[in-house]
Amino acid sequence: MAVHSAINGTTAIPWRSSRKRLTLLEQLRGCQEAWCPGAPWDRERAHSAICGTPAGCFLIVRDSATCQPSLLCVSTGGDNDTVLDYNIKSTGKVFQLSESRLSFSDLAQLVLFYSLTRDVLAICLSIPQWIYCVTDKNRNHLSQLEPTETWLRTPPEQQTDEMTHKEPSTVMCSIQLTSTNGALCIINPLYLREHGDDWLTHGTTAAQSATLPSNIRRERRLSTTRTWAGAGVQSKRAISLDQEPTAASIESSGLSRARSADSHFPLDFSTPAVPTGVVLRRPSKDSACSPPHRASTGSLTVFTQTSRGSNSPVSELQQHGSPVPMSPHRVSWIEDGVWLSPPRPSSLLQPPSFELDSLSISSIEEEQESQMPSAASHHASAHRLADKVIHRLSAVGQALGGLVSQKKRLINRVQELSERKGGSFAENVKGFVEMTLKKGVDLDGVTGSEFLQEVRSSLTSLRETLLDYPEIQALLDSITDLSDAEIESLVELSLHKVAVKPVSAHLYSCIHASRIKDGTLERLQSNLRVLEKNKVEELGASAGVGVPDSSSLERIQQKWTSMHEAYSPNKKVDILLKVCKSIYHGMSANASSAGTVFGADDFLPCLTWVLLRSDLTTLQIDTDYMMELLDPTQLQGEGGYYLTTLYASLYYISSFRPRMPARQLSVEAQHSLNQWHRRRTLHCDQSRRSKNRRTIRRQMCRDRGSQNSQTDTESKEESGSVDVDKSPQQAGSSTEGLPPLSEEKPRGQEVKDVSKTPSSASDCNEQGILSKQKDRQTLCAGEDEQTKN
Amino acid sequence: IDMALRELKVCLLGDTGVGKSSIVWRFVEDSFDPNINPTIGASFMTKTVQYQNELHKFLIWDTAGQERFRALAPMYYRGSAAAIIVYDITKEESFQTLKNWVKELRQHGPPNIVVAIAGNKCDLSDAREVQEKDAKDYADSIHAIFVETSAKNAININEVFIEISKRIPVADAAGGTSGKGFKLGRQASESRRTCC
Repeated sequence: MAVHSAINGTTAIPWRSSRKRLTLLEQLRGCQEAWCPGAPWDRERAHSAICGTPAGCFLIVRDSATCQPSLLCVSTGGDNDTVLDYNIKSTGKVFQLSESRLSFSDLAQLVLFYSLTRDVLAICLSIPQWIYCVTDKNRNHLSQLEPTETWLRTPPEQQTDEMTHKEPSTVMCSIQLTSTNGALCIINPLYLREHGDDWLTHGTTAAQSATLPSNIRRERRLSTTRTWAGAGVQSKRAISLDQEPTAASIESSGLSRARSADSHFPLDFSTPAVPTGVVLRRPSKDSACSPPHRASTGSLTVFTQTSRGSNSPVSELQQHGSPVPMSPHRVSWIEDGVWLSPPRPSSLLQPPSFELDSLSISSIEEEQESQMPSAASHHASAHRLADKVIHRLSAVGQALGGLVSQKKRLINRVQELSERKGGSFAENVKGFVEMTLKKGVDLDGVTGSEFLQEVRSSLTSLRETLLDYPEIQALLDSITDLSDAEIESLVELSLHKVAVKPVSAHLYSCIHASRIKDGTLERLQSNLRVLEKNKVEELGASAGVGVPDSSSLERIQQKWTSMHEAYSPNKKVDILLKVCKSIYHGMSANASSAGTVFGADDFLPCLTWVLLRSDLTTLQIDTDYMMELLDPTQLQGEGGYYLTTLYASLYYISSFRPRMPARQLSVEAQHSLNQWHRRRTLHCDQSRRSKNRRTIRRQMCRDRGSQNSQTDTESKEESGSVDVDKSPQQAGSSTEGLPPLSEEKPRGQEVKDVSKTPSSASDCNEQGILSKQKDRQTLCAGEDEQTKN
Repeated sequence: IDMALRELKVCLLGDTGVGKSSIVWRFVEDSFDPNINPTIGASFMTKTVQYQNELHKFLIWDTAGQERFRALAPMYYRGSAAAIIVYDITKEESFQTLKNWVKELRQHGPPNIVVAIAGNKCDLSDAREVQEKDAKDYADSIHAIFVETSAKNAININEVFIEISKRIPVADAAGGTSGKGFKLGRQASESRRTCC
């Protein structure tokens, strides 16, 4: 079974295990003896073996006493023959480098990871090319390899030539971004193809210190290249950078400053930030492949920004949020899964430049960052991009992974499918858009949220249709470094662009109409007048809690605006998280005593305070929109939490009645939540249960567990006898006293076929919900009266 | 080692000022989860721990404990696998509030939610108003986990979560994230399916 270790987010994903080709991880494991040799090998011997090998060549030596892997020795290549040592800690079942916090459940994973991204290393580890070609048949030979003879000594070129022709050539689009020091660099791989890459690493090795975590990379993929053998760096740089004079000057100064910045790590944020690390990945086997696209060669873009004062995204990042001081922000994206999977035709169709361009432009348009007063106006675009990227990373929680370009690739493909004449997906999307635009204009008898629930249900069906396409499956399979949750979210995003975007304005007006109808907007406005004068303490916060100052309040307003402009519910949630982060920042930065941990007791009042200074109508609409359209699987996490809190806060404002007993609200709040939650549950089940689905998470334990347990439960409920005996024992193990809510029980039957036939099935799905809601309403009304009495 | 990762939503209830967020903070502070970035604030935090052959990722939802926000609690405890109800051993009143939370969960909470009762601030035993035995008896009567904790001195914090892990039915019956699949209970362990 392939490794699926949840400890690190970088390993292979289980469904790939069906491949005959061994994963790189398996290959690495197979020849572990070669790169992590046993007894006679010690540090000294490893060093002498490594000395003189190309940069990135490495060996791991074991502790002589414990036999545990203890030291990673890495060649820096070059003339001075330096070998760097990194201690390996093995605590219990995990391995990690002492300088890094990333831990891995086995050594091969550690090696694989550091071959993809260097993290604390000075350079990435280099894995010999031939290893990629090892298949099941010849894997036995792996274990017989010798460290010196094969692992280190075979020249990479030769290995490649001998073995890689078996593998079809691949276009690997690569960019890498680093935001170390707040600088963001994007380098077009085509530029490098044309102009070489030596300028990136030129002259940097000498300044490296073996003990400090270096910001400068001598990327092994740069140093082992054939065709890119970098010649006259200076002149080539000059040629290309003519096109972007500003960037050029910044960039060149940046590189030189980077070296000096190295010596005083950790970073001092008061100094201008410079682009320090530039990591490139490029096709490792591209020689057979003629350059696919030359149109946009030579476009080098280097964004930098100065990080000064509170306007800087980086310093904002540092100051905001949790009281823990955050470590310097470093991000590497690693994209493309060519290592681990055979190349796909799809990837050949798209020239790298295409993806890069779409990456850097369109997502900015969609998510306009707040226009911060920027001192350096010519850096405005850089600001925005850097800000965007950094925030997205921190918000969504992807420290690693090539999300951006893979996202674009998927989005482009889905877009294509949605326009393919006669294709089932295209037809369904068209049908959905037409249907949605037609419906909901007249909301007689249907509430806004019911309408949105229908939309969500159709989106889920569309997703099923999409996942039925082998090419989409293939594309998803090729993504190796994202968690399943991230892949889910990726699919959602791609769907939003083709299906939600065309209807979002219509949905807004429907929600608006419905919220006018049920009086919410009116109550919000009238209670706003009652509450807006309240200080945050009067709203419930403990004494001394800070609130955002006027300038950050202004920025929050801008973020609300961009939240409204975003059509994708996921994107809206990302922005919501940014706002919440600003609020936390205001709470602690302006608090009377430092170092307090602010939990919900204080956050909810503060959020309410902020909402009372915001456009409540728009916020209510956006909140409903997110609540109803967000993929249900995303609701338990951080986004779900703050969305719930936003919803709760708005609910608190709209239902505020000074003299009303608290209990009264509970029933209402609960009722509204019941409706919402029930649908979520329904959709969850629905998407997990559909039989013919080519699920993107089909091998997740969770899903199967869920399906199995439900089938079991159902069948047992039907047969009726078994569970009766078991329940007392089972309840004894948890909470006997709490009787199950009736609403949780009946579910599943009415939604079984929803995904197959969107329109009709969702109708009856809707009826199911409606009838149950009526029951619930009766029930609630009953409770209501009881409480009154 | 192939361990399943399970996300467990845990809801924190209790009067304002009893130290809900301090408990979580203490629980989370020494951890680092390479899988994720730190959360943006202390109201929502996560921590992954290993329990037997599973990884339990606790998604900890804090709630505002003020009376005026009580009505909002159902939005938070929905779908929770466990609830930690916190009271302050130096405030009798907070123990009464706790009993109300138990009642509310019984009526409206997810079925089979694991309930843990934490008597916080046990470092302040001089000012104690709630006797440990009384609380323990009460907890036993509702089959809840009970510990006295001190977020300040880091006493019994991890224990609360370990106990919760123990009471969460084994993976197969859990259906992943919420309490909805808990019906099979512990018996499912014998028929546990492997996912691979």
